[in-house]
Amino acid sequence: MILKDLVDKKLTIYEEGFDDWKEAIRANAIPLKKEGYIEDEYVDAVIACVEKHGPYIVIAPNIAMPHSTEGAPGVNKTGIGFMKVEKPVHFDPEDPEKDARLFFMLASENPEEHLNNLTQLADVLSNDDLVNDLLDAKNDEDVLAVAEKYATEE
Amino acid sequence: MLKVIAACGNGMGSSQIIKMKINKVFKKLGIDATIDHTSVGAATSMASNYDVVFVAQNFVGNFASAAEKGTKIVGLKNLLSEQEIEEKIIEAGLDK
Repeated sequence: MILKDLVDKKLTIYEEGFDDWKEAIRANAIPLKKEGYIEDEYVDAVIACVEKHGPYIVIAPNIAMPHSTEGAPGVNKTGIGFMKVEKPVHFDPEDPEKDARLFFMLASENPEEHLNNLTQLADVLSNDDLVNDLLDAKNDEDVLAVAEKYATEE
Repeated sequence: MLKVIAACGNGMGSSQIIKMKINKVFKKLGIDATIDHTSVGAATSMASNYDVVFVAQNFVGNFASAAEKGTKIVGLKNLLSEQEIEEKIIEAGLDK
């Protein structure tokens, strides 16, 4: 179960809220940096990406997937960093559908491993009940409970 | 055989998710399709070689010239919603 993997790999972080989406992305990156997956250079690239292309990284209501390119400078390992935010982060002040509380930062250095992760993540996030439970999660224990609850459905 | 391309800002995240999701819906609807994925930058120059382009809604405008040449451009708001994808596939007449 991918959610359990993220907890096991210490790639999770829980925050109250952010006035600025850039701060949110920087916070999302903290565990990935600490565990040696990425460097600041990659985080800057991710932010530049959103500035260039707009908030398309909010792939579904409440769900943001900040990322840059495959094998981008500043990526050492393939992984996904999870952040849960209590108050919605606004990416587009005009469009509440671009608010996000669940962040999954993608880092990819190995396309095959990345695609495997992404496939699992897409399956997990396609389950509306699971997403609702995840929105209530406040710490690793809660996320593990969600992972446990839905583990059999994979 | 429908030729489809899924595109996003960089071709590593959302475009792959779009590809997974539309593949699932095409199979469900019994539509025979080959699906590639790439970045929006690369896709704009290749789009006219495809029957249909799937992108996040905010990129639809990037494909105006391909749309003029007859490529169908489908913009998605919720990339994870198979329901939205199915509705838009039918709306675009891709099941015909």
